[in-house]
Amino acid sequence: MPRMILSGSVRERVGGLGTIEVEGATVAAAVQSLEAAYPALRGWIVDERGALRRHVKLFVRGEAIALDAPAAPADKIHIVAAISGG
Amino acid sequence: MTELLVGTKKGLMVLRGSSRTFEIAGRAFAGETVEFATRDRRSGRYFAAVTHGQFGPHLFYADDPTKDWKQAEGPAFPPAANAAVERIWVVEPGVGDGVLWCGVAPAALFRSSDGGKSWALVEGLWNVPERSKWEPGAGGLCLHSICPWPGEEKRLAVGISSAGVWLSEDAGRTWRRSVAGLVPRYLPEEARKDTHAYCVHNMHRAPRQPHTLYMQFHGGVYRSDNGGESWNDIGSDRGLPSDFGFPLVIDPHDPDRAYIIPLKADADRVTPDGCVRVYETCDRGNSWVACADGLPRSQAYLTVLRQAFCSDGGKPLGLYFGATSGEVFGSVDGGRTWSTVAERLPPVASVRCGVS
Repeated sequence: MPRMILSGSVRERVGGLGTIEVEGATVAAAVQSLEAAYPALRGWIVDERGALRRHVKLFVRGEAIALDAPAAPADKIHIVAAISGG
Repeated sequence: MTELLVGTKKGLMVLRGSSRTFEIAGRAFAGETVEFATRDRRSGRYFAAVTHGQFGPHLFYADDPTKDWKQAEGPAFPPAANAAVERIWVVEPGVGDGVLWCGVAPAALFRSSDGGKSWALVEGLWNVPERSKWEPGAGGLCLHSICPWPGEEKRLAVGISSAGVWLSEDAGRTWRRSVAGLVPRYLPEEARKDTHAYCVHNMHRAPRQPHTLYMQFHGGVYRSDNGGESWNDIGSDRGLPSDFGFPLVIDPHDPDRAYIIPLKADADRVTPDGCVRVYETCDRGNSWVACADGLPRSQAYLTVLRQAFCSDGGKPLGLYFGATSGEVFGSVDGGRTWSTVAERLPPVASVRCGVS
């Protein structure tokens, strides 16, 4: 199963867990699986339309990927807050 | 003891104290923007509207603002709306048991019937045919003012920037716009007749006389004597240095008394003449007088945002407001004298009195 790698604020939302195994053949399905297991993350990574939040990036093997990208069982999907703010 | 909930660009500051001496009793949501925080005095429950820079807007509730906050279920649009909440502007206790209202951007109203734990879109307002013609103001297309009618659960008025005043008499099922008397001076005269761009900045209802409402408009101060059906100019040539601004408070004990904090103009949103002044009317807006004793009188160019002014509801009336420069000012005598109750805070977005 793919693994979601959490840091910062989203990691705090799940009690400090840094790695969470999820189900899903796409990145979007993996995020849905994560939200289902941890409702505290609902609305944090994707909005209520299912769109990735503008300042959130997802990386697999060092590359930024879209929600509709495939997720392989060995993938580690990093959830990264974009460098922004003030 | 008075408790102030101060929403700032870097967290919620819970100030507790009395008269002129306040201390920061707690800080929540460190590093995140707290757009608005309030307390439902019926249940004692606190609410905080938090916008995370990366992870979006979320509403939280707590029984103690200095301890654990829980995330509410919503407000969030249903799939059919094809929209996402951009910012949570206001939470307002309703009339019915456990009923609260929440205003967001893009302009929409949500209702809770379980004390604020979960929220549902008010479809009637979302689906008004005129919505396609609504345009945002500088702060976005936002529903920021919610005025329940004390004792009448089904009657409601909301203010939208910049889509005017909307009234419902059936608990939000149907709505009608109510802008008679408002003059959108920011438009050419020939464009005003058919416009939908009525930029309401703030609106409150007098709880002791619910057919009386006051409004700060984008250039203009108004009062309604008929529940928001029509509006009368109370800002022109009546002693105000400017009729532009955002903050507005009504004395809950006296419908003839209201307070505003004028800013110089839409192109220069600071206190006029470098002087911080709250203006009070005791005669329904027929005249305004400055309340400035104890406030900075020179070289003070402050910006006070829409939700950053409140009363404590007491007698005499306590008044509190915060500025984007990080000061919070307070008066315990209805505005006659003021003191600085906090300073060097992050930019202040909202001030509400939790306990008084």
